Amino acid sequence: MSQWMQRIARRIRALLHGDAVDGDVDAEMRIHLEMETEELMRTEGLSAEEARRRALVSFGGVERYKEAHRDARGVRWVEELTQDFRYAIRGLLRAPAFSISAVLVLALGIGASTAVFSAVDAVLLSRLPYPQDDQLVRIYNQSGPSNRWTLSTVDIQALEEQSRTLSAVGALRGKRVAVSYGSAAERLPTGFVTSGFLDALGVRPVRGRTLEARDDAVGAPPVAVVNHRFATEALGGDASAVGRSIMIDGVAHTVVGVLPAGVNDLAGVHAQIWASLQLEPPTRRGPFGLYVIGRLADGATLDAAQRELVGISNRVFPLWSAGFQDSTAHLVPVSLRGDLLRGAGHTLGLLAAAVALVLLIGVANVAGLMLVRATGRSREIVLRTVLGATRGRLVRLLVTDSVVLAVVGAVAGIALGAAALEVLKAIGPEVPRLDEARLDLRAVAFAAAAALFAAISIGAYPVALLLRRDAAPTLRDGDRAVGAGRRSHAVRGAFVVAEFALALPVLAVAALLLNSFVRLQRVDPGFDPERLVSVHVSLPSGLYPNDSGDTSVRDYWARALPLVRAIPGVASAGLGAALPPYDWGDFNNFDLVDRPVPPNTSQHVSPWVGIGDEYFAALGVPLLEGRLFTPGDTGVAPVVLVSRSWAEHYYPDGSAVGRQMISGGCTECPRTTVVGVVGDVKYDGLNGTGDAVYAPVTEGWPLDLNLFVRTSVPPAQVVSRVRAALASVDPGIPLNEVVNMDERVYESIAQPRHMTALLGGFAAAAVVLAAVGIFGMLSYTVSARRREIGVRMALGATGRTVIGMIVRRGMGHAIAGAVLGLVAALVGTRWLASTLFDVDATDPLTLGAVTLLLLVVALVACWLPARGAAGIDPVEAIRAE
Amino acid sequence: MDERADLLQGTLDLLILKTLLLGPLHGWGISKRLRELSSDVLDVGQGSLYPALYRLEDKGWIRSEWGVSPEGRRAKFYTLTAAGKKRFAAERSQWRLFAGAVERVLEAT
Repeated sequence: MSQWMQRIARRIRALLHGDAVDGDVDAEMRIHLEMETEELMRTEGLSAEEARRRALVSFGGVERYKEAHRDARGVRWVEELTQDFRYAIRGLLRAPAFSISAVLVLALGIGASTAVFSAVDAVLLSRLPYPQDDQLVRIYNQSGPSNRWTLSTVDIQALEEQSRTLSAVGALRGKRVAVSYGSAAERLPTGFVTSGFLDALGVRPVRGRTLEARDDAVGAPPVAVVNHRFATEALGGDASAVGRSIMIDGVAHTVVGVLPAGVNDLAGVHAQIWASLQLEPPTRRGPFGLYVIGRLADGATLDAAQRELVGISNRVFPLWSAGFQDSTAHLVPVSLRGDLLRGAGHTLGLLAAAVALVLLIGVANVAGLMLVRATGRSREIVLRTVLGATRGRLVRLLVTDSVVLAVVGAVAGIALGAAALEVLKAIGPEVPRLDEARLDLRAVAFAAAAALFAAISIGAYPVALLLRRDAAPTLRDGDRAVGAGRRSHAVRGAFVVAEFALALPVLAVAALLLNSFVRLQRVDPGFDPERLVSVHVSLPSGLYPNDSGDTSVRDYWARALPLVRAIPGVASAGLGAALPPYDWGDFNNFDLVDRPVPPNTSQHVSPWVGIGDEYFAALGVPLLEGRLFTPGDTGVAPVVLVSRSWAEHYYPDGSAVGRQMISGGCTECPRTTVVGVVGDVKYDGLNGTGDAVYAPVTEGWPLDLNLFVRTSVPPAQVVSRVRAALASVDPGIPLNEVVNMDERVYESIAQPRHMTALLGGFAAAAVVLAAVGIFGMLSYTVSARRREIGVRMALGATGRTVIGMIVRRGMGHAIAGAVLGLVAALVGTRWLASTLFDVDATDPLTLGAVTLLLLVVALVACWLPARGAAGIDPVEAIRAE
Repeated sequence: MDERADLLQGTLDLLILKTLLLGPLHGWGISKRLRELSSDVLDVGQGSLYPALYRLEDKGWIRSEWGVSPEGRRAKFYTLTAAGKKRFAAERSQWRLFAGAVERVLEAT
């Protein structure tokens, strides 16, 4: 045992002090030579010179002896490894074009995939930041397979009273409202929540208390819990925040607690203030609009909760059936995590698939380059074999090459990945928690795994080639015989086929997204966004009670509108409750009197937009039929306008004007009459429908309205005067930003634009890599077959025949790859269908165009080396051999 | 090729251990004594001698230290360790067994 330890100690010493030990050996050897020389002089009477020569001859090679000595020390493998790496790096530096392109391709592939991995890891693989997050559910009303909506006071109260499978339920109504504290006032995102909301999530304040059941009661003193940032910035720190009184939406609230630092979102909703939500006793089933979450009781399953909630829905339905007649609607719980990540998996999956394909193409590309390089090195390898290098040593030499490339690629890739992740966060898909993505140890581990995969893939074939070679080749045929064989031709060809097969789907996806985006961009939003601005005005409910008989909201606008309209440069100004092209404001259900839905089925729903006078003039929406609202339309005999799409949808065979409907499921209310048809405006995104019903804002005067101002001069010139006019009516109301509507339309398609750009980048990389791959293969073929081409030309082949021969060989691979890729694309792009607008996922024109594009690029990449081949001078080529 | 080396190595080890059994010696001294003891039949190439010395030292059968030779030269002296003595005894009996067996085969008529 101790002997073993001594040996290990000796070896470590030998390794650490290799030079010193070598010095020792040098000295010993020198002494030996001196002794031998003296002996020879003494016994055989030789001259000093001759004696020394003989001594040296009998001693043998000095370096060989030292090598053998090191071998005996058992440290040779470490030194050889270092030597291999040094050698590999020197070799790679000698071929900078190859090394730089290989490292660059690997770094790009590894970097991009590491960035996407970090995003996937943060968004899809991580858990929600709440205890037992798998118990959390979101609850919807659902009727039919896809029609889902929010809950009403009736629903949440029924859940609170009757559910046994849910240990906690909570409701939220989020809003940006005016918040004032001390002398400051600003508009802040605020979540009005019942105590069960914080309770279900398991979120506890670090200071003060949480919201409690008593705070939910109507008439209880209003209280709020604030986040750490608001407590610090507005209330002078966590300690002084508790007990402070702040005005939220015009109502005094007492701050009772402060959430831990970093808790800014709850269940995917961002807010700085979480104020108590006190739900008035319901008078009908609606209105809906509550965001409700729950926590499954310990031991309760989602299925059990589902069954229970159907039962509760069926018990509640008859109590309120006068105003809500869809008996098929019931409450459904779904996983909160799944609900928050809805769509994120799809988008990130698309990115991950594209980036994986690009990485694979990159690896195939470098593998092809490595093979060419290995072939070019065959003379060196033969020489080494002859000089006595073992097969194992040669394998190590080749493996070290790929390892060095992969490691350098990975290091550069991680650096690139960090940058790419920032780009992804900035312009990437809008998915929750992407901002939390970090290039952490897991990402580095991923990059390392990708590098390992790359190293194996690019090193495997050259090594296999070396191992398969049986008889020792001779130096003479070293140039040609090794690697230029039929088999390695086939492998290089396979790499090129694979590159094209992988590139085509990436290109197809990018082209489909581009096609879809172009169509989306051409969609008419239904209004003229140039020289149109909007400002959202939210009147605090505490100061504008808005009860029946209260006219404060109407009075505010009666004073504000004439002031705005009087500003020079303002052409028209009108109010609307919705904000096109992607905020419909309100939804409402309705039933047509002359064509009602069958009993116990869902009624139709449509965006239901409250508007004031001049709304259509300000937006530039034409009246197509009937009349607009008049001051006489006060709600006694309710009237609405409908959009052209709505009219064509429900009355394809005749005029919609004069038709009557029951709105909001209210059978006892007076019937609503359609008095006119206006042009379509997009409220549900540019890819949405044009359906809309307009009701006069005078019927209800909501607290939240958008003021639309059409200007005859550049809007920047009037914006400050609009704000001043509004401020002059009530200086206490914090105003929102003034929005340029053309920018809003542009922003509404930011996500598809960014996805198109990202995928376009991947596709460009894929095409370039595939082109480089085929170019490299053919360039090598031409140089390897130089003599054969020379002979052919000497025998009368023309430049054209030679070009044809080379191009045919290249295009054969490109076409085979493209066909394989096309099949893959036809299967894979179906997955895109839900993302695409107005384009079929297997659109033959798009797929045909990208195939053609890829083949044209391939043709150019084939033609360049082919032209080089045609320029070969036959005499020179034959003689060179 | 490896097998041949092993055979040689085994014999060389035995011979080196034997020369050191008589007292510490430096490398050149070992080769000289081997030549003398074998009446110049065995001339161990120095290229084999030193690797063998280091291998034996690595195995712990001999140890080395720098010293001064009777002629007043600085040289590295090799000494047999206790483990080396045991090893020598084992190798010697193995060699005798082997040599005797070979001899008997050759004597057979």
